[in-house]
Amino acid sequence: MEIFSGLINGFSVALTPVNVLFAFLGAILGTAVGVLPGLGPAATIALLLPATYAISSPVTAIILMAGIFYGSQYGGSTTSILLNLPGEASSVVTCIDGYKMAQKGRAGAALGIAAIGSFAAGTVGIVGMTLFAPKIAGFALSFGPPEMFSLALVGLLMAVTLSGASIVKGLIMMAMGLLLASVGLDPISGKTRFSFGVIELQSGFDFVTLAMGVFGLGEIFTGLESAMKSEAVTTKVGQVWPTVKDWVDSRMAILRGTLIGFVVGIIPGGGAVISSLVSYAVEKKVSKRPEEFGQGAIEGVAGPESANNAASSSSFIPLLTLGIPGNASIAMIFAALMIKGVTPGPFLIQEHPEIFWGVIASMYVGNVMLLVLNLPLVGLWVQLVRIPFGILAPVIILFTAIGSYSIQGQVFDIYSLIGFGLFGYLLRKLKFEPGPLVLAFVLEPMIEGAMRRSLLISGGSFSIFVTHPISMALIGMFALLVLGQTVVMFRKKPLINN
Amino acid sequence: MKRTVTVLAALLFVALMLPVASMAEDAYPAKPITGVVPFGPGGSTDLLARTVEKIWPKYSKQPLVIVNKPGGGGVVGTEGVVRSKPDGYTLYFGYGSGHDIVMPSLQKMPYDPQKDLIAVARLSVHSVAILTGTNSPFNSVKEMVAWAKKENKPITTAVAVKAGAVDLALTALGKKAGIQIVTVPFSGGAEATTALAGGHLMIGGGHPAEILSHIKAGRFKVIGVALPQRDPALPNVPTLREQGIDVATWGSVKGVAAPAGTPKDVVHYLESTLKKVTEDPDFRKAMENMGQPVMFMGSEEYTKFIKQATADYAKIIKDLNIKIN
Repeated sequence: MEIFSGLINGFSVALTPVNVLFAFLGAILGTAVGVLPGLGPAATIALLLPATYAISSPVTAIILMAGIFYGSQYGGSTTSILLNLPGEASSVVTCIDGYKMAQKGRAGAALGIAAIGSFAAGTVGIVGMTLFAPKIAGFALSFGPPEMFSLALVGLLMAVTLSGASIVKGLIMMAMGLLLASVGLDPISGKTRFSFGVIELQSGFDFVTLAMGVFGLGEIFTGLESAMKSEAVTTKVGQVWPTVKDWVDSRMAILRGTLIGFVVGIIPGGGAVISSLVSYAVEKKVSKRPEEFGQGAIEGVAGPESANNAASSSSFIPLLTLGIPGNASIAMIFAALMIKGVTPGPFLIQEHPEIFWGVIASMYVGNVMLLVLNLPLVGLWVQLVRIPFGILAPVIILFTAIGSYSIQGQVFDIYSLIGFGLFGYLLRKLKFEPGPLVLAFVLEPMIEGAMRRSLLISGGSFSIFVTHPISMALIGMFALLVLGQTVVMFRKKPLINN
Repeated sequence: MKRTVTVLAALLFVALMLPVASMAEDAYPAKPITGVVPFGPGGSTDLLARTVEKIWPKYSKQPLVIVNKPGGGGVVGTEGVVRSKPDGYTLYFGYGSGHDIVMPSLQKMPYDPQKDLIAVARLSVHSVAILTGTNSPFNSVKEMVAWAKKENKPITTAVAVKAGAVDLALTALGKKAGIQIVTVPFSGGAEATTALAGGHLMIGGGHPAEILSHIKAGRFKVIGVALPQRDPALPNVPTLREQGIDVATWGSVKGVAAPAGTPKDVVHYLESTLKKVTEDPDFRKAMENMGQPVMFMGSEEYTKFIKQATADYAKIIKDLNIKIN
């Protein structure tokens, strides 16, 4: 009952004309930065942070920022499907089957199911947040260093099996990712590693720069090879509404993706990227036709796109109930609240119910707006793709350059972006999948840090990883996966066809 | 539609990224002043700087614009200010942080934090508070020391970063009290307090600005403060010296600096304007909400303070034999 009256209250805040306008603005900006590969929600929110001074009400400012954050998860899939160019890191996995569908002339169905899945998962995520927020936050806290280590380890192994044809090539990419991530400050001792006296390398490579280079620019450089023909990208959208068969095929994927995203989103450091990868791996495993994955399976789009949206909703839970930001974008929203003199935490719901419930209610409103912006209007967004590649490529390169510069404000990142782009081009030529590299890069600080922290706590004893129950279960899973893969490898029959 | 959005987004971007246009020379300040925060947005230094940014126009005819230039633990952004034109239009917000007063004793710096910068004013001091979970058996540092001696067990401690202000204070505490303190560095204060809240470590440390919400929520007990005197943000918490352990540090100090060579009258203008800002009731209210005590100090006094604080940290580092590279 309390929840019900709180929500009613929230809608009375969220539905004032000003707040509706700002939710709409957030949805449009979010979709735009989601579509544009160079710009991420974190960079956009950071740039808008000064503008929040001009907005007198804290709830309005947060509604705008939250809109950008979850809106970008909708837009991210568009370029993944049409250009094989992930607009956001969390849409990386959507490229695999989404782009294949587009090549087969089914871009419309892929875009449609991505938007519907996003809407369903986003809405279910918010409902879950409304009902379970306080209880779930306690669960997130039980993830200490040993649990984080085991979780990240399982995540990394999934990345390798996900890489497709060759597990060996996947392992090579994983090692590269781990190596690249170890440049910069040692997470425990604070020593500088592999910086060779270059001051910009002291803080390591930036993730967004790496991802945009290896995925974005690498793809564009490859595309330029064949770009002398004016239309290098798929422009046939086809029917936007998925067929009945598509719907039947993907409804369970949407449901599973939603659940995975919701749970992973709550874990600090988890979030949209990991949840989309986990969802893809799960869909491939449970599918009756795993051989279709990588060839344009609609479940491979529906699952991950649902997962990343559910995760973006549920990642608000630790912020609003514990005052703990789980990722960079949420950290900016945290900062904006602090600037306004509002401390996010367990007291938020009592001291500022208008903010707690107002933000939640605005997310219901925003998701409806995003569905309208993305489904019937997808044709409009697609106009971008009809621009000849010769024009589009430099524009994307420019935006990625601006995006990578804007993160830390240093020119060095533009050079490393180009370097990573050439590296990504090379990988494509040699038929390596960059996916495991990028995931290993994200997970390295977590794996290394969590392992060394665990060992500090246990006084150097490895038993800490099996005496903690959650960690033990995860390690058990890891052992089974390794065992299974090894057996399969020796039988020369891949478990996952690709 | 799409194109309009792209154009709008691009325009917004350009407008925000454009460097402040230079105008004809006039009485200082003749154009907006840029304040560089060498850390990411959302941290306690950023919040402090943005609160100053907001109040600043009340007392100056030109606005103050805060920009974040994070990287290299603060060195990248600070070096940018050191190398900028000493005309008073580029300032450094956060002077007195770890990389100014702790790092020089640990590693080679690309500039001299004291000679290459002029201290304009001190705004706040972020002390080191020692925390423990509400279920913990200790109610004070004294009790914790007694427990560790009796049980002969190490005290696992969550700290934000290795060799940061919190890590140094707690390592020094262990050494002085004769107990084993195992500091476990996390990647930032938020992560360290989360792990402590989850009960994965015995104690932790942090700056009041970062932990105030947790204390208000009753998630932690504060069992000591490592300042020479009590922290105005935590008036009920006794210092370590009051508890019989001779450890006191200045934690992390937050002030404003200008590049060496900035004209005296410009420094004086900035100093007096910042003084007015720190006396503003709205500023004080905002700082109180954030758990950052207002502890103003003028240019001359602050120069001496930085010198002393650096020397104090050098002594702790030497005594504890801490090495990084």
